[in-house]
Amino acid sequence: MHEIGIAASIVEAVRTEMRPYNDTRPVKVVVKVGAMSGVDRDSLSFCFQAITRGTLFEGLTLSIEDTPADELELSRLELEEP
Amino acid sequence: MSGTTTTVNLERKVLNENDRLAAELRSEFARHGIFCLNLISSPGSGKTALLERTLASFPKDQRVAVLTGDIQTDADARRLARYGFPVRQITTAGACHLDARMVVRALEGWDLASLDTLFIENVGNLVCPTSYDLGEAAKVVLLSVPEGEEKPLKYPGIFFKSRLMVLTKVDLLPYVPFRLEDAIANARSIQPGIQILQVSSTTGAGIDDWMRFIEKR
Repeated sequence: MHEIGIAASIVEAVRTEMRPYNDTRPVKVVVKVGAMSGVDRDSLSFCFQAITRGTLFEGLTLSIEDTPADELELSRLELEEP
Repeated sequence: MSGTTTTVNLERKVLNENDRLAAELRSEFARHGIFCLNLISSPGSGKTALLERTLASFPKDQRVAVLTGDIQTDADARRLARYGFPVRQITTAGACHLDARMVVRALEGWDLASLDTLFIENVGNLVCPTSYDLGEAAKVVLLSVPEGEEKPLKYPGIFFKSRLMVLTKVDLLPYVPFRLEDAIANARSIQPGIQILQVSSTTGAGIDDWMRFIEKR
């Protein structure tokens, strides 16, 4: 239910983090989602696709790593130089 | 054609803006010696009823306040205001949980130095409020007897993060098929350290234990 907000926070983080890297495009963002985080991974993937469609981030892959506790963390971002 | 790939390590919380505001709230609460509890449960588990009993049990000179969150209406704030303590409604207009920014806004203009205890009644929802730190000292999850003993297994996140589980509506135990021992075992299988209280806001059973929990802080 709140995954749309979580997805928007991830997009915002990508936007901020890629600022120092001119002329690159983000290809993959890796997020750790804990089993106790209260975040549903399928719903998060769905929301992420929905809010990136038709934007600069269309096609950016959201990769979710399962963890056992309550993590909800940005792990890494992969950028590609054209 | 694809070129060079750069990997940027991020290693930070997804909700770091919420967490930053929550940390500010937590240090404000600490500075003023405020004990803040974040009450979370499904809709209809008895958060407001428990708070009504709680406020009725506090001597009138106690420095207690309540923030109560709902998607719509100020019905809960009106219910709670009858007890003579400051109460503010947070209406989320659709959002399924409270976040730290809503709490910061709701506290604007309140003299925190005049408070010792703050209850935050979250929006009725057993999932979404789990992710949002509000600067509270502890999360308290309510599970009402008619909901069934499997709730901790179905919604593990909130039980994992709560210091206390309050089993509410225990006056209904004779009338509904609820296995109390299983509910307790299920909660402890998710969070071994969770404290558990049994209360009825209707009869007042267990309210003393709950008040002692608040008093111990």
